[in-house]
Amino acid sequence: MDGVFNQPEFGPCPACGVLLQVEVFPALFRKISTGRSGEAIMVEGESSCFYHPQKKAVLPCDGCGRFLCALCDCLFDGRHFCPACLETGKSKGKIQNLENQRTLYDGIALALAIFPMIIFYFTIITAPMALFVAIRYWKAPQSILRRTKIRFIAAIVVSLLQIAGWITLFIFLATRHGTHV
Amino acid sequence: MEPMSEIHYRRLTRSRARGTFAVAFQSRASLWLGPDHLLCVDSSGYAETYKRFYLRDIQAVTIQETKRRTLWNVILVVPLVGCLAGLLTSLSSAPNDSPAVIVWLIVSVIFLVPFLFNNIFGTACVCQLRTAVQIEELPSLCRVRKTRRILDKVRPLIVAAQGGEIPAEAVSAWMRDWAASSAGVPPAGTVADNPNIPPGLAP
Repeated sequence: MDGVFNQPEFGPCPACGVLLQVEVFPALFRKISTGRSGEAIMVEGESSCFYHPQKKAVLPCDGCGRFLCALCDCLFDGRHFCPACLETGKSKGKIQNLENQRTLYDGIALALAIFPMIIFYFTIITAPMALFVAIRYWKAPQSILRRTKIRFIAAIVVSLLQIAGWITLFIFLATRHGTHV
Repeated sequence: MEPMSEIHYRRLTRSRARGTFAVAFQSRASLWLGPDHLLCVDSSGYAETYKRFYLRDIQAVTIQETKRRTLWNVILVVPLVGCLAGLLTSLSSAPNDSPAVIVWLIVSVIFLVPFLFNNIFGTACVCQLRTAVQIEELPSLCRVRKTRRILDKVRPLIVAAQGGEIPAEAVSAWMRDWAASSAGVPPAGTVADNPNIPPGLAP
């Protein structure tokens, strides 16, 4: 087992001989704490949990202020939430650390503006779509990483150029048709 | 509920495709450092998914050397040698400005550039991060040198978050004890423990 854990270089795995470097941290040896179930109310008139009226309230939810028992107390980022607030925070994106997915509307708008140019006939449909997506989702939350609005701007510029091109083409065809008549 | 303030992340690695041969179709993963966690971002270009690994929860980081660099060298060297042979033949048999020379030169460069990068980046590896509830591969850490560089940056933060470092000897001793105590005892959750579990569920 020596020569594998917390060493600066690779060492062979004692079982299969594969070269490994393993950094072990104290969390590996930490026991997983068990959850609390909440105390039952002993004295009448004691504050009770909003979700479990038979259990004693221990603190209020930092989100909605409802009283919570130890079972309903969800500690997250140093704040105490009830399960409902955690769910709301996740679904509405109010607790950023709970979000595990975001749609990149700027990427969608740019793809709608750029890729159909390969077969440019499609741009008659996709250019207004790209413009719509860019304007509709301009203020929508983007990536949680820092990201500029350059993709939105590029999508708007490209789609406006495409729309202008189509309008020009139609005007040209209409006027040419008109002069022939 | 008031929204929490925006978290600023520091980039640790650039994005890299999860599959070697699926650059265009699969999501790309990158690694970022937050105030108290590592963030693994999988991006398809149209959506991003996030996995957070809190520094206080990281139990171990494993780096395993792989043969991917050698494999790519073999894959790239064969056509590269063929192209260089073609280039030399064209140079010797035709004037320098012939189209054949230019074509051989372009094709040689196409193989030469990835070959050079493959060797500049160094030995390939697979990096896995272990917490109490998961073992997650970090696809963006695929070269030993880069992985060690990132680990050197992150290690002090993990150690600080967990309140100290464990000496290598202590870990080895603990692992020896653990191996000795679990020798001959089947791990929990196997078929031997519970005859009602179908064999397919055994780890």
